[in-house]
Formats: sequence, C-alpha cells, structure tokens
Amino acid sequence: MIWAQLTTALEWYGAFILLFFFAINTYYLVLTVAGFWRTLQVFKQVRRPDQRRLLRSPLTPPISVLAPAFNEEANVVENVRSLLMLDYPLFEVILVNDGSSDRTLGHLVDAFDLRRSARSFERSVSSQPIRGIYDSPTYPNLVVVDKENGGKADALNAGLNLSLYPLFCAIDADSILEPDALLRLVRPFVDAPGITIAAGGVVRVANGCDIHGGRVHKVRLPRRPLPLIQIVEYLRAFLFGRMGWSTGNSLLVISGAFGLFDKRAAVLAGGYATDSVGEDMELVVRMHRYRRERRQPYRIGFVPDPVCWTEVPVSFRVLRRQRTRWQRGLIDTLVRHRGMIGRPRYGSVGMVALPGFVIFEMLSPLVELSGYLLLPAMWALGLLNPAGAWMFFVLAIMYMVLVSTLAVLLEDIAFRRYASVLDLGRLLIGAVLENFGFRQLTVWWRVRAFWEYLRGDLSWGEMERKGVGA
Amino acid sequence: MAPAVALEPLRNGVLALAAAIILLALFLLVERSAAALSSSRRSRREPILSRLLFQALQSSPVDAGAFRRLGRFDRRLVRSILLGLALDLRGDSGDAIATLYRDLGFVKRDLAGLRSWRASRRANAAADLGLIHSAETVPGLLSALQDADVRVRQAAVWAIGQVGTPATLTGLVHLLGDRSLMVAHRVQEVLAERGREIADSILRYAETTSSRSGRLAAVELIGWLRITTGADLLLSGMRDLDPEVRVKSVKAAAAVGDPRFLEIFHSRLEDVRWEVRCQAAKGLSLFGAVASVPRLAAALRDHHWWVRFYAATALAEIGPAGEEALSSALHDPEPLVQEMARYLLERGDAVPALP
Repeated sequence: MIWAQLTTALEWYGAFILLFFFAINTYYLVLTVAGFWRTLQVFKQVRRPDQRRLLRSPLTPPISVLAPAFNEEANVVENVRSLLMLDYPLFEVILVNDGSSDRTLGHLVDAFDLRRSARSFERSVSSQPIRGIYDSPTYPNLVVVDKENGGKADALNAGLNLSLYPLFCAIDADSILEPDALLRLVRPFVDAPGITIAAGGVVRVANGCDIHGGRVHKVRLPRRPLPLIQIVEYLRAFLFGRMGWSTGNSLLVISGAFGLFDKRAAVLAGGYATDSVGEDMELVVRMHRYRRERRQPYRIGFVPDPVCWTEVPVSFRVLRRQRTRWQRGLIDTLVRHRGMIGRPRYGSVGMVALPGFVIFEMLSPLVELSGYLLLPAMWALGLLNPAGAWMFFVLAIMYMVLVSTLAVLLEDIAFRRYASVLDLGRLLIGAVLENFGFRQLTVWWRVRAFWEYLRGDLSWGEMERKGVGA
Repeated sequence: MAPAVALEPLRNGVLALAAAIILLALFLLVERSAAALSSSRRSRREPILSRLLFQALQSSPVDAGAFRRLGRFDRRLVRSILLGLALDLRGDSGDAIATLYRDLGFVKRDLAGLRSWRASRRANAAADLGLIHSAETVPGLLSALQDADVRVRQAAVWAIGQVGTPATLTGLVHLLGDRSLMVAHRVQEVLAERGREIADSILRYAETTSSRSGRLAAVELIGWLRITTGADLLLSGMRDLDPEVRVKSVKAAAAVGDPRFLEIFHSRLEDVRWEVRCQAAKGLSLFGAVASVPRLAAALRDHHWWVRFYAATALAEIGPAGEEALSSALHDPEPLVQEMARYLLERGDAVPALP
C-alpha cells in the first residue's frame, strides 16, 4: 500500500518536474522574444540626430555618477579617468571609497591631486560616518568620499547624499561605461520627464576585450570557457530578459553595475536598503511599491543600447560567491515584498513579475536539484526508465540550448557586437557547454544560498579582479 | 520494474528541438553572411561614392548627373552619406547638400514617407527632412505636426526647428502647451536654440495663454533666452499664487538679471517653497549687492540644504562683504551653518557646476 503510494507520488513529482522544465524554458523563450521585439521598437524611435540634440538641449538633466569602490586599487584610477571623459553636458562623478583596506584612496589622491574639501551635503538617507570628502582642482566634477565600511548600499546612500543633481547613475567602480552611455540612458527621462523614475542599461562582459585608456577598443571573446558561458547567460537573462520585463513596466531588476535613477523618487522610497545584499533589485521593487500604493504614474524602463562593460568571475570560487549573493538578494527582496505578490493593487508587478520571479528565479534551483536527486532515487527503487530519463535529459538541455541560440541570434541582429563568425560559433559552443556542469553548479550554489539566507548571512564576498584593462 | 514511458513523443520533441537549433544556427550564419556581404560592398563603394559626392557638391551648379543611374544599393548609400554630411555642414555646403538631395529625388521620397502608414517611417522621414535644410519641406513638416503619433510630431517639431523661418517657428509657440509633454518639451528645446528670433511671440504667448504648462514652459524660455523685455511678466510671475509659476519665474529672473528684481528676490528668500528661496538666492549672486548680505546670511539658517548652499554661494560671489559674513558664520552655534560656510570659503576652483 505504502509502496504503491510512494510510487505514485514519485511518478507525479517526475511529471511535475517535466512540466516545470518546459515552463521555465518557455518563460525564458517568451522573455527573449519579447525583449527582442521591444529592442527593435526602441531602435526605431532613435533618430540620427538624437545624440547631438540631447548634448545641446537645456532639458537634458544633469547626472551624478555614483561609483562605490571597495579595495579596487587595481583599476580605480583608470576607471575614474574613463568616467570623467563621458560625453554628457553636465555631470559629476562621486567615487565612494567604502573603507577600503588597500591603497584605493591613496591612488586616487595621487592621480587626481585630491585635497580635503569641506563640501557640505544633504543627509537624505542614512549611511555610515564619512571620514573625509576630497575634490580635485583639476577636475571640478570629481568628488571622492572616504567613509567607514558599510557595504555597497551604504556607499551608494552616502553618494546619494552628496550628489547635487536630480538624476543619479549607480555604477560599479570597476566597470567601464561607453562614452555615450549616459546620453543614451537618459532618453526615457527626457522623453517622459517626471514619469520615468529609473532606467537600466546593458551590462556586457569585458573579459577578453581589448581595453586601454579606460575604453573598450575591440570587443573580443574570452579564451576561457567560464567567462564565455557567462556571456551567453548575460545575453539571455540580462539583456533580452530585462528588456522583456520592461515591456509591461514590470522590470524588477536594474543592475547595480549600471542604472539611472530619479534621485527624488529614490529618496522618497527610502534610498538603498543597507541590510540587503540585493540592494539593486530591492530598491527597484520598493520604488514600484511606493508608486503603486500611491497610485502615482511612473515608468521604470530598460534601454538596450547604452553599454557598461564589466569583468565577470574567472574562477569557480568567486563565481560561487557572486551567485550565492545574487540568490540571497533575490530571496531577501521577494520575502521583504511578499505582500505585493498576487495582489491586483500592484498591477503587472504584483500579478505577473513577482510571481514569475518566485517560481522561475527563486524556487527553480530547488525544483531542479530535486529533479537531479530524484533520478538516483527512482533508479534505486526500480522506477526509472533509463531510456525515458535519458531522452528527457536531452530534451531539457536542447530546449535550453535553443533559447540561448536564439539569444545569440537576436544579439547579432540587433547589436552585432561580436565581429567574426568564429565568435558566434564560440558563443554557440558556450550555449551548449553551459548545460554540462556550469548549470548544475549554479543550481547547487543557489540552493546553498537558501541556507545562507536563513542563517542571516549578509556578506558580499570579495571579487578578485585583474583589472579590466590588464 | 521500471514503468513504461511513451518514448515516441519525447523522441519527436528532441528531433524538433534539434531541427529548430540547426535552423537557428543556419539562419544566424546566413544573416551574418548577408550582413558581411553588404558591409564589404558598402566599404568598397563608400569611398568611391563619397569622392563623387564631394566633386558634385563642389561643382557649381551642383551636378547630380553622375548619380542618376545608380542602383538601389548605391542610392541608399548616397542618401546615407548625404544625411551624415548634413549633420555637420551648414551654409553653402549645407545648401549644396540640400540641392543634391532634392535633385536625386530624396526630398520627394521623404515627403511621401511623411504619409506612410508606418509611424516609424513617418518619424524618420520628418527627422531626415530636418537635416536637409530645404524650404520646400516646410509645408509637409507643418502638416506632420497634426500627426496622430507623438513620435512623428516630435520629429516634425525638431525638423521645423532646423528648417523653419521665424514665421514658421512662431507657429510652434502654441505647442508649448501641447497635450503631449513629449511634444511640448521638443518645442521648448527647439525654441531654446532659435527662440531669440521670435522673442516677442514667446513673450506674448506667456502673457496670454490659458495653458498652465505652456505658460510655465514659456517663462522658462524667457530665462534661458534672457529676454529682457519679459521683466514685467517675471515680476508678476514671482508674486503669483501658483508656486510652480513662482519657481519658474524666479529662476528665469535670476538669469535675466533686471535691477528691479533685487527687492523681490529679497522677499522671495522667505517664500514657503524651498525651490523659490534657493532660486532667489541664486539670483542675488548675480547682482552682487552688498544690501543682500544680511538677507543671505539669514538664509544660511534655512532648513533646506539647497537654500543654504545657494545662499552661501551668493555670499561668496558678492565679494569681501559676503566673505566676511561667511567667516562670521564659521562661529555660528548652528553646525549646519558652519559646515556650509566652511565649504564655500575653502572651495577654491573646485566648485561644482550647478543645475
């Protein structure tokens, strides 16, 4: 009797996993296609003289670029130089040294002839104490803030307090913005002033690229498979995935590496949450919540052409830290804002995006891992049909490869960042390789993140960098 | 005993997915090959056509003869090169480009594009006509201002800003109050560049319009363009009951800098809205009047950071009397006042540009 019930339960669970695999891959497929569609629509709206018009227009709002840095001595000077060279009519760069233990501040002081400033600031949001503010006689639009360590969110809050301008762009100090990135990213704010409260830009992988002088001169693919696989992943999930979500004003994540925000809207929502490791997603969800609860019109968009280049992990150790942190941030945000899930009051965010994130982003590693564990259990119990299991495994992988191939194709149609056909071939190889080891490892790390989250782990873990220009 | 699984559908699924992946990969290859072919043809033809174009543009009158029998690909390329050049060239060269563009039938094509059923095509046609400074495009662009699609109207506004005469630009002024904020903003951008030619019309519109947003935009323009004849309007605007009108009027007045504004700026330092107070402080920095020092020193105690910031900036701009007030503020019992005074006194050249 019990045996029969167990058998039935396992069979049902097997069927559920089968369905889940199809659902999750279909979810990515739909997002990729929707994202591509939206990208084409946005490109149709960009006209030849737009960039020049924005450069000259008195309505182009000034921007404070906030770059938190923690132990970034390897590339901080070069990256600040590249930020100072951005094409934008009026902007300031606020680099926040978040209590680095290396020579980040020293390098900056030497390179930019920084001196202590008595610059006053507005305390709109809370942050750890500031040890000193520095400015440069040579670069009036550069401010360096030295503060006690408090994490990325805390550093961004400190920068937010010091910023002078109505929009702020949050970036990672170790990433490189393309010269016209701000001009492109500001478009939704100029087109719908007062309505657009945040916009995300594209984060691309810099590993392997030819970089010098704080600029990406030639886009190349990395030789090592780990960053190569991440490129495919970034294309699928971060480019077309986010573009797809922005279609219905349901974008929940604007990468901490590159996002533009209306300062007032962010401050009204309470600024960055310093007790979250997913501060980028948390702020965006809170901004949605704040506006929807007050029935205020707003738009949070994603712009497909401004690009920020960033270095991705090249070792499994660093990748593990990054992925567990992302998953902890996701869980934390969804738990904090669980009151929004499935509530019509929050519109497409509450009814579509958040449930989608819970099922396909937060819980999916648990389901996938249980699927992997189910196989030996069923085999041991004699319930496994090896041919069927094998076929299902191949099917699941092929669906994933199909979605990734589509993402590579759509990238090539819309952006064509990778010059040679060989590059495309390597990306397709990456799309296949992803399913053999990489995917299973990330699933395991993401499951571990649940445990870390329950233990209250808020650590970031260090990102070891060679320096994007190295 | 392992259960029997229907393998056939799974096998079919695998085959279907494999076929789809192969098809996508093939499509990728074909698409990339086609793009590479087109790009290589373009890079071969572009220098040749550019050379021909430069020759044609330098001849007088402009000679389009060499381009009459071009194929579709080359014609597209020529059009693209001409539009690229038109972005940078004005004056005689701009006129030559416009002539050639018209002689090759591109103007006619773009005017037809304004009537396309696709909004993006209409908007692109309007934007391209804006690059070509040709008066014959104005009627078409004016009718595009009535288009149902906001993007087309935006592009048409910009294009008229590039091509239009003062009389045509006057026709744009009423669109400052357009129901679409995007269109109204584009008009404001255009007039910020060329509005000086029609200052009177802008002023008249600000005085007479019943559209609140239009009035606010016009007042802002008066400040950007420094229309000194708008001083009376700004004086009354600064006393308006609508706080937004007061904010924009004080901001514009700070840019215009009429001596009559001094007293009202002093009184606006006590306005209920912080935006008005800080713009008044900013305006006082232009006058550099010693009489403003006590008022600005008092404004250093304002609860709003921006007001204190602008008041301190204004004191620093006034000269020795202002700096003396800032020095005394260093000993103020209120830490916020001390902090702001210290910053302004130590700032040197490292003062940030203000919005």
